[in-house]
Amino acid sequence: MTNLIKTEWLKLKKYWAFWWMTGIVALAYPAMNYLIYANGYKDQLDDPKVGPILRMLPNPFTFPDVWQTVAFISSCFIFLPAIVVIMFITNEYTYKTHRQNIIDGWSRKGFMTSKMIDVAIISLLVTIVYFITASIIGTANATSTSGKFWEGTQYIGLFFLQTFSQLSLALLIALLVRKAFLALGIFLFYFFPLEVILEGLGRKHSISMREFLPLEISDRLIPYPRWFVRDQKEWDALIAQSHMHILYTILLLAVTWGICFWINAKRDL
Amino acid sequence: MSSVLAVNGITKFYGRIRALNNVSFEVPQGSVFGILGPNGSGKTTLLSIILDVLKANNGSFLWFGHPGSPEQRKKIGSLLETPNFYHYLSAIDNLKVTQSISGRGGKEDINEVLKKVKLYERRKSRFKTYSLGMKQRLAIAASLLGDPKVLVLDEPTNGLDPVGIAEIRELIVELKNSGHTIIMASHLLDEVEKVCTHVAILKTGDVITTGDVNEVLQDEDVVEVSAADLNALARILQQFNSNVSINNVSNTVQLLLPKGTAKLDEINSTCFEKGIVLNHLLLKKKRLEARFFELTNN
Repeated sequence: MTNLIKTEWLKLKKYWAFWWMTGIVALAYPAMNYLIYANGYKDQLDDPKVGPILRMLPNPFTFPDVWQTVAFISSCFIFLPAIVVIMFITNEYTYKTHRQNIIDGWSRKGFMTSKMIDVAIISLLVTIVYFITASIIGTANATSTSGKFWEGTQYIGLFFLQTFSQLSLALLIALLVRKAFLALGIFLFYFFPLEVILEGLGRKHSISMREFLPLEISDRLIPYPRWFVRDQKEWDALIAQSHMHILYTILLLAVTWGICFWINAKRDL
Repeated sequence: MSSVLAVNGITKFYGRIRALNNVSFEVPQGSVFGILGPNGSGKTTLLSIILDVLKANNGSFLWFGHPGSPEQRKKIGSLLETPNFYHYLSAIDNLKVTQSISGRGGKEDINEVLKKVKLYERRKSRFKTYSLGMKQRLAIAASLLGDPKVLVLDEPTNGLDPVGIAEIRELIVELKNSGHTIIMASHLLDEVEKVCTHVAILKTGDVITTGDVNEVLQDEDVVEVSAADLNALARILQQFNSNVSINNVSNTVQLLLPKGTAKLDEINSTCFEKGIVLNHLLLKKKRLEARFFELTNN
């Protein structure tokens, strides 16, 4: 395992697209969260109709709710690190380095494990960016009535799980398609708008199976921020449902990686 | 002599196309084993199978008497088809990846192999800035990392200039002399003839012949003789075999005999007894090129 991590680090550390995208994520996550805080929430506080209701709810941009709010907003931009994942795996096919890794002495299982490590490293970096963003926003908005810093931090783990699950799906598409632009096109088209449309149609026709759409499974780990859902019952149901989705997401991850390992073991390289 | 690689009945299909058909041969330790064949004969497919990049539909292979495994591949320096490296990494960083995966060699070995293939000056340049020849040199450097005792080289002189080709040829001979086993696929007959000790000739997936290069090349003994009177010499030589011809360009007479039956001392003494003094007597190998064309019907 140490050898796999060391080797993947040798590949990643000088891959400029990876650092560029990490930089973009590091800027985009705080920027988008601030934008929604400033324009989507703070402005509404002064709205004569919505403002009084919002003031009755806990501030979603301080502890403990900030962990969930920032996780939810950040999860809308998982397509950014997904681009790196897709580029990184399709590069291996374009330049046939996946073959060379096997020729040089990795097993096929070892190669796939190394890709799993890449996805885990990228998910971890994204989670660190999320953690820093949420910490700063939460601390900046903290008042005497705010919760403690570590309250609600279960969303750190849930955000990591969601990111890891969705980036794993991006990797599966890249592994199946092997062509960078095609894989990017398919993933981005599915990420937005296809699954959004499918989910919307499912909601309209009350099809409960919509919660098992590949991205929706892990999307439901982090429910809408509380100020989106003003009905307490609906909110409680969302939270309760999210617990089941931890299990579903883990199952989806097992299936995704099972397919990846199986394909890589069986097909000609 | 124990075998480094034993290929047994390997068959490979690409859809309905049969790329390899029941291919079997053994590579003796310390040999330079050439896999010859025209384009599309299955050379790279065969090497890809023994390096676990492709799966055979049938048959098996043994490295050092054991089924192929990642641990065995780590001990083999390989160059398959094209130089495959990370385009954004330098030669040094790419070799660090090779080293990390294979475990072959230390930090100093990287500089050493880069010097050996004359790429040291450009060691810090990114792979994508290299010419085809430089890429090929880097692939050879990667295969030499840690001085593996077995090398698999697929068209090792691809993209190299004449000087580069000669250097790689010398390197192969040097490696052979220091006890390495080299398995080399090529369609460049001159290259194979100059360095290989054993060959397997493939044609559309079938092994036509395999064995010691001298045995494969020499399907009959060709004796080249010369004397002052070529006609008289030809008449005398006919008592050994009727297949005698005069070559007026080289001023020699060629006598063809069944493989392994030519006795030069007997020919010399017979001619001398009949009053002909020879000024040239040579047992010639058939050129690989000629033999290759014969075998592949090209």
